[in-house]
Amino acid sequence: MSTLMALAEQIEASSMGVAIAESRYAYPIIEGIHLVGLSISIGLIFLTDLRLMNVFLKRVPLQDMLRHLRPYVIGGFVAVFVSGGLLFWSAAARMLESPAFIAKMLFMVLACINALYFEFVIAQREPVKQSHSVVPSSVRYAGFASLSLWTLVVVCGRLIPYLPS
Amino acid sequence: MSTHDVLTWIQDSALAHTISKTDHLVGAGLQIVHVMGLVALLASLVLISLHLLGLAFKHHPTVEIAKESTRLVWWGLTLTALSGTLMFIATPTLYFYNPAFRLKMVLFFVAVVVQLALFRRAANQTSPTPSFAKVSVAVSLAAWFSVAMAGRMIGFI
Repeated sequence: MSTLMALAEQIEASSMGVAIAESRYAYPIIEGIHLVGLSISIGLIFLTDLRLMNVFLKRVPLQDMLRHLRPYVIGGFVAVFVSGGLLFWSAAARMLESPAFIAKMLFMVLACINALYFEFVIAQREPVKQSHSVVPSSVRYAGFASLSLWTLVVVCGRLIPYLPS
Repeated sequence: MSTHDVLTWIQDSALAHTISKTDHLVGAGLQIVHVMGLVALLASLVLISLHLLGLAFKHHPTVEIAKESTRLVWWGLTLTALSGTLMFIATPTLYFYNPAFRLKMVLFFVAVVVQLALFRRAANQTSPTPSFAKVSVAVSLAAWFSVAMAGRMIGFI
């Protein structure tokens, strides 16, 4: 852990890390991009989850919902990861000590595992592939798990400055 | 009574003290509700926009998708406005003189006007002309995203 911490301190002290942390506008603008990017990516995932749970846009075929929104979800995530990476760069050591940040990363990994399981197992089943109106209940559970996990990611992210390390 | 007196009076009210002096996590909770509301609002608008531009659910009637998504837009707006108002009441003197907050309020006003004058009309039409749909979507999303950006900057300016 101490080598990891030393590495984080080095990242934070690099000229790029210092430049972001000390610039008057760079930091808030990157934060803004992070927020807008997550509204698109995680926001559209939330809407997809509600469709999987069968409470939103019931008449839109499941496959349309998944396929048509995918490029925008991915595009949003690119903005989130680039901006998030830059924010981490400028405060790496502080982040590794922050319980909210660690929890956020943990929930993000779980959300990704859930998404991969949905993509490669649940979505491969025939009723889902053909957008039947009655789909296995595992689809609903996957939607609910995704909605909950991504909510926790957002909540923990917002708590980073509030929870003392 | 000057503006500053009004702001101080709000800040010293019982409601303001309840929010600001109970626990710093009350403020954090309001911030979380504010973000989640914003995510619901923006994502629903993006969904309606994609459909208006013919980039998603092409074979579905626009009005049907817009109707269900607009309900989520209202939910998002209610959550953000409520949590935002409570945050403002807790420390009005901090927000009122903040340039990012002022910019955000102006942009918010613009976004609402654009929403009512352009976006809502485009979304209510069975087949809006492509150029009208494009302009409505571009102006509306630009306005709402600017509100979010300016809002995020309040704490840093």
